[in-house]
Amino acid sequence: MSLLDITDLTVTYSTDSGTVHAVNDVSFSIDEGVNYGLAGESGSGKSTLAEAVLGLLPGNGSVESGSIEFNGRDLTGLSERERRDVLWEDIAYIPQSAMDSLDPVMSTGAQIRQAIQTHRNVTDDKARARVRELFEIVGLDPDRIDDYPHEFSGGMRQRVTIAMALALEPDLIIADEPTTGLDVIVQDKIIDKILEIQDRMDSSLLLITHEIGVIAETCDELSILYGGKAMEQGSVDNVLVNPTNPYTMGLKNSFPEIEEGDQDPVSIPGSPPNLSEEPSACVFKDRCPFATEECEASHPDLVDLPNRNHRSACHHVTKAAQMRRDATDPETWGIPDSHDESDRGEVLLETDGLEKYYEQSQPLLDKLRGNDPNYVRAVDGVSLRVRRSEILGIAGESGCGKSTLGETIALLKQPTGGEFVFDGEPYEHYADGNMREFRRKVQIIFQDPFDSLNPRQTVRQLVGEPLTIHDYRTEERERAIVETLEKVGLTPAKKFLDQYPHQLSGGQRQRVAVAKALVLDPDFLICDEPASMLDVSLKVNLLNLLRELADTEDIGIVYISHDLASLVQVSDRLAIMYLGRVIEEGDVESIAAEPKHPYTTSLLAAAPEKDPTVDRDRVLLDGEPPDPVSLPSGCVFAPRCPKAEDACRESEPGLDTVRDGDHRAACYFPDGETPDADGLADDRSDSTYGDPEFSPPASGDSASD
Amino acid sequence: MSEFQRFLAKRLAISILLTLVAVSVIFVVLRLLPGSPFESLVTAGNLSQQQITEIRAMYGLDQPMWRQYLSYLQSILLFQFGYSILRSQPVWGVLAPRLVNTLILLVPALVTTAVLSSLLGMYVGWNRGSKLEKLSIIATTFLRSTPVFITGILFVIVFAYNLELVPAFGMRSISASPEGYVETFASLDFLHHYILPFTVSVLYYSGDFLLLARNGVVEKRGSEFLKLHRAKGLSEMQQLARAGRNSMLPILTYFALRLGMIFQGLILLEVVFGWPGIGRELVLAIQQQDYPLVQAAVFIMALAVIVANLVADVLYAYFDPTVSTSGGGAA
Repeated sequence: MSLLDITDLTVTYSTDSGTVHAVNDVSFSIDEGVNYGLAGESGSGKSTLAEAVLGLLPGNGSVESGSIEFNGRDLTGLSERERRDVLWEDIAYIPQSAMDSLDPVMSTGAQIRQAIQTHRNVTDDKARARVRELFEIVGLDPDRIDDYPHEFSGGMRQRVTIAMALALEPDLIIADEPTTGLDVIVQDKIIDKILEIQDRMDSSLLLITHEIGVIAETCDELSILYGGKAMEQGSVDNVLVNPTNPYTMGLKNSFPEIEEGDQDPVSIPGSPPNLSEEPSACVFKDRCPFATEECEASHPDLVDLPNRNHRSACHHVTKAAQMRRDATDPETWGIPDSHDESDRGEVLLETDGLEKYYEQSQPLLDKLRGNDPNYVRAVDGVSLRVRRSEILGIAGESGCGKSTLGETIALLKQPTGGEFVFDGEPYEHYADGNMREFRRKVQIIFQDPFDSLNPRQTVRQLVGEPLTIHDYRTEERERAIVETLEKVGLTPAKKFLDQYPHQLSGGQRQRVAVAKALVLDPDFLICDEPASMLDVSLKVNLLNLLRELADTEDIGIVYISHDLASLVQVSDRLAIMYLGRVIEEGDVESIAAEPKHPYTTSLLAAAPEKDPTVDRDRVLLDGEPPDPVSLPSGCVFAPRCPKAEDACRESEPGLDTVRDGDHRAACYFPDGETPDADGLADDRSDSTYGDPEFSPPASGDSASD
Repeated sequence: MSEFQRFLAKRLAISILLTLVAVSVIFVVLRLLPGSPFESLVTAGNLSQQQITEIRAMYGLDQPMWRQYLSYLQSILLFQFGYSILRSQPVWGVLAPRLVNTLILLVPALVTTAVLSSLLGMYVGWNRGSKLEKLSIIATTFLRSTPVFITGILFVIVFAYNLELVPAFGMRSISASPEGYVETFASLDFLHHYILPFTVSVLYYSGDFLLLARNGVVEKRGSEFLKLHRAKGLSEMQQLARAGRNSMLPILTYFALRLGMIFQGLILLEVVFGWPGIGRELVLAIQQQDYPLVQAAVFIMALAVIVANLVADVLYAYFDPTVSTSGGGAA
């Protein structure tokens, strides 16, 4: 008997504007000890499904029909009291945003203890001992159980919630996007931890995520959800290697991977369906390039594919092989394939040893004594060059100073040292009364499309505002706005002009933000994690848009992100930052293929792999970046570096330590420094998926956490 | 010195500075007022010029301003409030009983309303959209926005005159002449007089706490950590308790500030109910330009607000672990 059996589950939300059919007739079952993945874009109903299982649906949501059987017991029929007994004792939950999901005024240990003591009658001492044990299991210092959530970093907080989920050794753990919002490196560590613990405890896992790569690496079986319908289910090996549903193909193709350097990820155009009515046609038909009349008529049932653990809901399953081939071609999806790389133009922005230090506040006494204050070196001597039509990607963990760097080169923050030249003029020129000109030429796009647009302005006002401020094209305002909206793909522009941000989807909002930046015809664009809040297919859309802008509009772009995979897709050159310094810089191809700095290697290795048949070597970095106030002497990465030797701790390597054409790295013992380049080439041709070997000699040692 | 101690020291220093500023402002403002305490005596023709000069010299009012200021500072900071000019008795002897009368009325009222209306506010915030929520908001907002003397008079008309349940004003029956605080306040007669003004002030303060608590809980209700608490299997009431605990900080701050302001009394209420409190006394003293009495009263009020602020800060640091950076001082 399986552990969790969901049959024909239908969940609806009642809202002011009618009923929303969030989950429609979804069935699947999870066996004991199995990791089950639920994938899909936002709005596909995957979180609703999890909430239905946990009984955490918000007040306006209700289970219309179907059953959720857990160990033979129907959870939908339980009373409030009976359900509380099942929760945590049998089914535990790892929430989405570790940042907000811990009670801020209760110590972490007390929160876990509360979970234990709600269900079991144990003494405080015993519960404390158990909490210490749990902290140890998830890799936290057991002496910190009395610390409050704000004293932990994001990754550590997620470990606390994992520890909490394990407290009573439940049969099933439901993890809702456990790694979204975390850095690649932290994400990798968390996934590794979940898997390791799973092995030990032998519980089942229901993992919900939009990252196909994460599922490919952790799960045995999965369901792909779209518009509240299960589109494809089965074992991960079958579904992800040989998808038979156009949606799965689209989702898989849009997931950017580092190794596909030349192959553009293909996005799924359009946006998720309106769920205000029960689906009568195939939910995916509007976005599906293979849709026919048959698809209009009815939503296909899930069909068992012969002799494998694999089911797909598509009228055209029989043509799967043909569709798979076509789906990799962007033109199938109606996306013009414009990839004529224009030449890179003149140097637009150049910095030399750019610095942004923040003075630490110090006690009055020290100030009187004239002691030098401590500085946080957010940006510490960064030298960059960006040409026209070039996208420079800046990558690094959170806290490495990449966002500060972005704001400093946008002159939103004053540099505290170093040279800054934009368009042939130095910083002093702009600081001295020419800032308005600079502000027109340089635009910045921020991370969060939900907060960066004024909710009380229409699209017309939002996009038109910069025109008014800079008195630019005011006589043909309307035309400028429409042109720009069309440029960013909001067509027909007329339809959007009078809409407010809340009426737009996440992807459309981010496009409005881009349009707002582009309406002034800038020369230079700084994008600070513009895609981190977006679904994969929207993310790819945005990346392709930026690439196109760089190619056709001749503008220089700096793209800041922690997601190396998308950086590799979009950029021409990459700069890897660690603690305010650039530690490696060069052409994307050469960094992705032969990273020199061990830090780059581990960043590259941390990106998940969407192909379940590929075994990835995890390079788990120890610890977290050191305190930026009291940096170690020598190479700043040395404390976490698997290869560090005495020389690294004595003096700091400059960026020119390793040099290979345009590719530079600050490391004394670079990776992949093998004189016989032939051997390397052989290695690469061996692996079918173009997967270069990223295995530094010491990866095994560092894997211990 | 731990982080918390440093924090405390800083706040203390600021409070002392504020007290000095407040004391100086009182001094300056009083001297800027036209006239003097003796004006009325002079116009009544009861005093000769020579007598006036003598009295002025006795009170030190003939000395230069800076010297007056210095001796004023010295005395007031040592809580030496001097003699009331018009009543010819020590200021403290006039103020202390009035202050006690005010506090005995308002402190229990404030505590009661803070506890009851906050709990009610949390409950209605949790059950958002219920009839009880709407009713309680309308009722308390009405009570809060109506001047307290209107509510007071209404209560007097209904409960004292029509129903004749309680006396209309005063602190005790005219015939009673108790000795000492215990005998005064621990008597049925006092309670009988006490209940009406007490009720009115409870209702008057209830709106603020109710709204603060409700808004806090409403804001916290959809948060992720409550979802996790719910997933852990906490009961509805336990979840509400966590939401309440998380929205307690503004209530706490507001309570402390209100507590400080209580030292000023509720003048209108004291007038309506004939309650011999500090508010009425202050009005009288200002009218008569009784310098020492006004100075002392205002000083006590300012000090109370400043101390309450300090307490609010410390409580905040104690109840919100994120306030002090090291997390020190947290329970």
